[in-house]
Amino acid sequence: MRFRRPLVVQATGPRDSAEGNEGIRMLTIDELVNSAAAGRIGRREFVKRALLAGVSAPAALALLEACSQGNQGGTGGPVHLNFMVWSYGVETIQDNIKNFEQKNKGTTVTVQDTSWFQYHDTMATKFSGGAAPDVAYSSDHWLREWVAAGWIVPLDKYASDLAAYKNEWAPYALQGMTLDNHVYGLPYYADLVIFIYNEKLIKQAGFDKPPANWEELSTQAKALRDKGISQYPIDIPMKKDDPWTIEIFYSMVYSRGGHMFDQSNSPVFNKPGSEAEQALQWLRDSYVSKNLDPAVLESAEPDVVKTMGAGQHVYTVLAKYNLAELNGGQHEQKGNFRMALMPGSTNSTVGFVRFYAMSKAAVDRNHTQAADQFLQYFGGKTSGQYVVAKRWALEKGLGFAQLPLYDDPEIQKSINAWGSVELEKKQAKVAAPKEGLTPWWGTWDVYAREQITSAVVGSVSPKQALQNMATKWQSLKQ
Amino acid sequence: MIIHSGVRRFGTARGAGSSGPYRLATLAPVLLLVGLFTVFPFVYAAVTSTHKVLLTLPGQTPFVGLKNYLDVLADGSTQIAVRNTAVFTGLTVPCVTVLGLLVALLLNQPIRGFGVLRALVLLPWAIPLVSAGIIWRLLLHGDFGALNGLLLQVGAVHSYVPWLSSPHLAMYAVIVAHVWREFPLPAILFLAGLQVIPGDVADASTVDGARAWARLRYVTLPYLRGPLLIVLVYETMISISVFDLVYVLTGGGPGTATSLFSWYAYAASFTFLNLGQGAALSFIMAATLLGLIVAYLRIVRVGEDEV
Repeated sequence: MRFRRPLVVQATGPRDSAEGNEGIRMLTIDELVNSAAAGRIGRREFVKRALLAGVSAPAALALLEACSQGNQGGTGGPVHLNFMVWSYGVETIQDNIKNFEQKNKGTTVTVQDTSWFQYHDTMATKFSGGAAPDVAYSSDHWLREWVAAGWIVPLDKYASDLAAYKNEWAPYALQGMTLDNHVYGLPYYADLVIFIYNEKLIKQAGFDKPPANWEELSTQAKALRDKGISQYPIDIPMKKDDPWTIEIFYSMVYSRGGHMFDQSNSPVFNKPGSEAEQALQWLRDSYVSKNLDPAVLESAEPDVVKTMGAGQHVYTVLAKYNLAELNGGQHEQKGNFRMALMPGSTNSTVGFVRFYAMSKAAVDRNHTQAADQFLQYFGGKTSGQYVVAKRWALEKGLGFAQLPLYDDPEIQKSINAWGSVELEKKQAKVAAPKEGLTPWWGTWDVYAREQITSAVVGSVSPKQALQNMATKWQSLKQ
Repeated sequence: MIIHSGVRRFGTARGAGSSGPYRLATLAPVLLLVGLFTVFPFVYAAVTSTHKVLLTLPGQTPFVGLKNYLDVLADGSTQIAVRNTAVFTGLTVPCVTVLGLLVALLLNQPIRGFGVLRALVLLPWAIPLVSAGIIWRLLLHGDFGALNGLLLQVGAVHSYVPWLSSPHLAMYAVIVAHVWREFPLPAILFLAGLQVIPGDVADASTVDGARAWARLRYVTLPYLRGPLLIVLVYETMISISVFDLVYVLTGGGPGTATSLFSWYAYAASFTFLNLGQGAALSFIMAATLLGLIVAYLRIVRVGEDEV
């Protein structure tokens, strides 16, 4: 049902504008219907404007009813989607939404954002409190939990081009969005946890290459301290509510050749002398020796980027896209940062994925068709191009799951401006997804972070902290 | 005549108001609101606390009786939260009360310009808790906090102090922020109490040779018994249930150093997604508050009897 006849007039200026009727433009029925569907005008206003345009009252009511059914019935009529994101690049998201709405006239989208640190808890409240969005960011952190709670649905049924995309995704990204052979998302971005260092400052200390393992890192850090180049050379985000902490800890374990869980999702991190124990002991020793900034326990990712950029610290472990910010943003040490393979015997690290998910609420509201179009635009291809993923990579340096993007000369040039495509590919080859992802992993993660930070400050021994984490795992499993 | 007419009209109105349907009709909206926003959530929470309600296991909510209560009481994390809350409350309530009283005594002096100061002293209390938390976080941050910058410049410290990273310092940092945020209300309440003390009583005690401490002990404080009770009850409730400040300032960390009871109850519900245990923790907190309020009332009544 599409009408092009100019139907009603709408004031576009402020209501109390002295300009009177100068800000008035013509509206088509399409626009009026969209406005009603988007909730921008109410039922009474809709009927009033339709009547003003000469549409009979019964016809206006019927139109409104059709609009309402279209909104809720998924019959191809106007649909309004709620999109929940964490607060990163919100202006870019809004611009992407605008582009999406221009291409999909029948769908309008409202975006709502909340801090990354509170995202899990906010979403739990929204889903359980009946205010679930239609589409939302999610993460491999929470996939099992959200599926077990029935908050998100598998996309196999609703996403038309899923099979074609799957073959082009990085394995760790596909694995991070897959549960019981069902895919639950289209990638927002996929990236690696990497080791970053300030090349200028380590050269100043007499080192011509980054540390190859964690012990060498301790030696280099001590030298930097002794020479007064940095008071605390190492900075790693370990604020209790920062979800990065666990991914960084996993990376430190993987790079030593260790594991957190076995194939049956049983903890191995608590075995005596495990790589996890070595990693936690290393963190504790670094804290005591002042190689590690004592403020790490109140530092989240953005804090670390700020202090690294200011030259306060020399080494860190962060998600790769931060390297783009450090070398391209407004920082005193801009341009001095390099990526190195994760120190350790295997150089392995965590590869992770954040993705767009469709909620069960979208299915209940019959918004699946519009939600699918939305997911396709944001996580899939438009006119044969990964438009949104490419934009994130070029503008923010976000990593991507869509491997063909590595062949794009524009992307290669962009990455090489702040990083290294070759090194990134090398690191990606030895990257692995997080182990132990189960419905209770999200809950365990919060407890594990608490224990890790307790061990770092010395409230419990590393061994005891790991044992506590294993005990918690078993109780959650039961 | 006019008065008589008015009385008659009032009498008529009362007569109409005393009828059952009228009374019910006027009370219904309030009863509905109370029922909807107080009674229903209370009953719902009570029911939830006796069921196993895990958001990750929807549709499986068996009745477990008091198991949630027993489980949370036996949990080491609860014990840490109780201990932290006891320390926090034990330090903040006296600090807030004494600071509020001192500020009130100061503002009660007939000094020019104190009128403006009385308004200004309310500012910390008027700032939303979340904003206060952010301000304190920026002040105290171990890497770029303004306090560290200041202390370093004046030579009071040789390197930045990790106020929020050290398990011991973090608790004191939260306490200082809380006291700063809370003292204005007691100050204003005490000031109001001070201003109704009859001037001749104070003058008489001075003439009788009472020194400042004696005047405070035997004249001022007995008059402030009412405000003191309100301050103690209110500040105890606030300290035991403080959440926003911890949420913004430390997130309960480092480790479990600032994990207070209300924070832990929140975490149980929305981080660990265990609504049954979260509800049980909330009821335990409510019962504790009730017990403390009753105890305060008794103590004050005993004090009144002694006077």
